[in-house]
Amino acid sequence: MTALVADGVTKRFGGLTALAAVSLDVQPGEVHGLIGPNGSGKTTLLNMLCGYYPVDEGAVRIGEEDLSRASVQRRAAVGIARTFQKPRLLPTQTVLENAMLGGWRDTRTGFLAAALSMPRVRAEQRELRDRAQAVLEGLGLGYALKRRAQLLDHAESRFLEIGRALVLRPRFVLLDEPAGGLTGAEIERLGIVIRTLRDCGIGVLLVEHHTEFVFGICDRVTTLNLGRMIRHGTPHEVRHDPEVIRVYLGS
Amino acid sequence: MSGTSLRPMAGSVAVLVALATLPWWAGDQYQIHLAALIAAWWILVAGLNLVVGFGGQLSIGHVGLLAIGAYAFAILAGRHDWSPWIALAASGGLGGVCGLLLGLPSLRLPGFYFAMATMAFALIVAELVLALGDLTGGGVGLSVPGFPEPFESPAGHYLLMLGIATIITWCAWNVARFPWGRALVAIRDNPVAAESVGVPVFRMKLAVFVASGVTAGLAGALFASLQSYITPDTFVFELGLFFFVCIIIGGRGSIAGPLAGTAILTALPELVAPLAKLGTLFYGLLLLAVVLLVPEGIGRLFQVILERLRPRETASPVLEPDAARLAAAIRRQERP
Ligand SMILES: Nc1ncnc2c1ncn2[C@@H]1O[C@H](COP(=O)(O)OP(=O)(O)O)[C@@H](O)[C@H]1O
Ligand SMILES: [Mg+2]
Repeated sequence: MTALVADGVTKRFGGLTALAAVSLDVQPGEVHGLIGPNGSGKTTLLNMLCGYYPVDEGAVRIGEEDLSRASVQRRAAVGIARTFQKPRLLPTQTVLENAMLGGWRDTRTGFLAAALSMPRVRAEQRELRDRAQAVLEGLGLGYALKRRAQLLDHAESRFLEIGRALVLRPRFVLLDEPAGGLTGAEIERLGIVIRTLRDCGIGVLLVEHHTEFVFGICDRVTTLNLGRMIRHGTPHEVRHDPEVIRVYLGS
Repeated sequence: MSGTSLRPMAGSVAVLVALATLPWWAGDQYQIHLAALIAAWWILVAGLNLVVGFGGQLSIGHVGLLAIGAYAFAILAGRHDWSPWIALAASGGLGGVCGLLLGLPSLRLPGFYFAMATMAFALIVAELVLALGDLTGGGVGLSVPGFPEPFESPAGHYLLMLGIATIITWCAWNVARFPWGRALVAIRDNPVAAESVGVPVFRMKLAVFVASGVTAGLAGALFASLQSYITPDTFVFELGLFFFVCIIIGGRGSIAGPLAGTAILTALPELVAPLAKLGTLFYGLLLLAVVLLVPEGIGRLFQVILERLRPRETASPVLEPDAARLAAAIRRQERP
């Protein structure tokens, strides 16, 4: 079983150390929670795993493969997909087209083949559309396939971002506050989706503020504060840790 | 292909038939010349549209690539007696090579600086045309040969350009509807999201920029042989802005919109005499009106009409994921 590993990752922004030697691993088929106060470095760690920032110290790996210097695109190609704290969709494109974008790395045809509409290009397009549609229907977005993304409500946007990540055929999905702005009922449905990913063997890194949701769904939880890891363990261990209660959960 | 796409398809065929028979119903030779001019500009704009309208890279200097294609054709077919067909292909190829040389250093620049680089390129080409008088005829210019029968007459030349424009339009439409088009729109609207799914941003920008160089080179050759004489004054910098404005007025991310924009902006000042007096002011006012009133361009109007024709979505159901279906969809696409 190959895990996605951050090994002693450090990141500085000028004088500010946003992450100080943080280690964490996400196993296939587990939901790993990442919690901590605002500004504790959760999004930064996610960006390091995806390759948006180079590591100052430490390493990012999948199994034995060192990805520390790999581009964002390369990490997508080895199966790391993500969503964003503020959804990043293509507003003028339809829901189906947004999801199909996730399958970009499966398109093997070049510019000329596309311009000349070679049979292979059309076959690829059909295949991609079918599986994007299947994913969207599974997510409950089947009714909105032809809607432009700018017309979606907030929950639909969040689910569509998950859909786009899934069409990438990921081994690991990193979710940055997916429950942010959702109603209680919508968070429950999000839980159904996340459990399904786990059951399919995908490793999920869940950055989230809704602590009840995190402790209810995660197999393991890591807590950050001011760029440092303060506690790592099962939900039960973390929620009763005095340090976590002091800096984050409150009493 | 679904039933809803049949209507635009039938429309395209009807327009094409009307255009192909133009020489037989046009009022006079001048209208045919005007239609040929629109075809030449559209060949360039169709390629540029992939760069500007889809990829979101603001090039205002394509007039430089147009001039390179025009002079290459005039020199090769005129002075060196190459076959016009080979000279046409060479003009397109040279346009592509120049697009590559311009794009390589400039496409990594942020938007504003990229626009400035393309402007500088156009100004340098204009100066070179004057400076290399032995090659280009300097300020006096060059005469340009036409194409052999049956494309020698004005009607024949027009039909040739219409044919090439049709093929280029079809190619651009293909690029737009396949994953390439979506990836370009992603680069325009959200490069961070584009990268996150593995889109090689720079490589794609470069590929469409080279393609737009090819179409600009072809357009230059066809335009030059249409005019039969070219001078540096033919390729003023404003022409580069004109192409850009055709796309903005037509609307980003559309093909029909910029096509209509090119046709309207080329024909209106010629057909409506008072507008011709306004000259560049007319383009300025039209651009202002579009940006203020329909910022998404006239292409968006087409889309709104098409959306009206479509059956309306009925209920607005709730977002209800289905774990079993989702799992099946995920397992189905699992890597081997
Ligand atoms: N691009 C950046 N440049 C400078 N500082 C940054 C940047 N991104 C994040 N930071 C800083 O790093 C710290 C961690 O931020 P972030 O990872 O967004 O926290 P979280 O997601 O846990 O709320 C914050 O102090 C933030 O201001
Ligand atoms: Mg954050």
